[in-house]
Amino acid sequence: MNNLTQTTQGKEIGLTSCHTCYMLNKQEQSHCSRCDNALSVRHHHSLQQSWALLITAAILLIPANIYPITMLIDRGNIRHDTIFSGIAHLVHTGMFPIAIILFTASILVPLLKIVGLTVYLTAISFRLPISKKKLMLGFHIIEWIGRWSMLDLFVISITVALVNMGQLLDAKPAPAATAFALVILLTQLAAKVLDTRLLWDRLESKDDTH
Amino acid sequence: MGSDCIKDSVTLCHSCDLVVTKRALPSGVRALCPRCNTVLYDTPYCSINGMLALCITALICFTPANFFPILELHFLGSVRTTTIIEGALAVYDEGYWLVGIAVIITAIIAPGILIISILSQILIIKYRLHSPFFRRQLKRLLGYQHFVSQLTMLEIYLISILVTVFNLSDFADIFLGLGTFCFILLFIATLFLQREYNVEHMWSFLDE
Repeated sequence: MNNLTQTTQGKEIGLTSCHTCYMLNKQEQSHCSRCDNALSVRHHHSLQQSWALLITAAILLIPANIYPITMLIDRGNIRHDTIFSGIAHLVHTGMFPIAIILFTASILVPLLKIVGLTVYLTAISFRLPISKKKLMLGFHIIEWIGRWSMLDLFVISITVALVNMGQLLDAKPAPAATAFALVILLTQLAAKVLDTRLLWDRLESKDDTH
Repeated sequence: MGSDCIKDSVTLCHSCDLVVTKRALPSGVRALCPRCNTVLYDTPYCSINGMLALCITALICFTPANFFPILELHFLGSVRTTTIIEGALAVYDEGYWLVGIAVIITAIIAPGILIISILSQILIIKYRLHSPFFRRQLKRLLGYQHFVSQLTMLEIYLISILVTVFNLSDFADIFLGLGTFCFILLFIATLFLQREYNVEHMWSFLDE
């Protein structure tokens, strides 16, 4: 025990933590002795997987915001709404709290996730001198808020089922809905596949303290 | 190997692989990684019977929450109602199958699997079913636990119902249905269940 310092990592003392059940195992083992799942000290290819998923998500964010996400027929008038115009409409009708909730869930969260993960992955890939503590805090926030983007899709599904009265009043989903669903799915996966231990291996030790 | 003797006294951070010396904690306190602030471990306070009660409550609310109407729309004299499943199927029928499947999985299937999975785990542990068959099932359920709880999005669906009410109040009169009431009960039961549940403690039952 006396040779442990503040920065000793598990791989230096020959131990690795199982990713499924968190049990400590020796590095020579190929499978966890408690849950039988495969062990690996680091998932080195997780960086590439995460990049690939993130870039796809970033590309899909464009159609998700440009194309209409819902179509509304109100007494014969057809109105297409993009994510942004739907929120702008809410602001015009004076429903600010709802507009803020939807703005956060459908515009801010996906954008922050993609920007945040890009910074995170760039920092690992190119060894940027950014504080690891701040990066990790950002990553925890991204993991936690990511799910909230599903809000918009739930609202669409309830609205479509409820508002269905022919030419009088009818709501239908539009192409951006699928793109938006894929953005959520891919960004969640990008954060999930990444082995965050790589960050702490690669960056210089002088970034530890701040 | 020197690693054998320190295996019991240290733990590794899941996020940054830091070696942390384990210490006894007072109940209700969590240990965080000193380097990256990820939760490391906490003291067991889960009472199996309490979790079983929450599980059964959630299970009772589950069916009415999904099959009773959650919202009612009154428009020019006609009344329309919808359930969670109808909402998902309506999007699916319009050709947006990805959205429909996402809604069904996150609002119905994942919460259902979560509740049944925790219930089976509790029953296996509570009645000390030590046969190899049950041990294998417990391992399998615990392995998928994190994935299933990630997919469970009841709280987001609940907010969605409220957002829809305000959204549509522009066009028509909206009323909450019986399903919403059951859904709120389901949400509360699941919320407390997930708070009491700790997957690492469940794994430790396999060591006995």
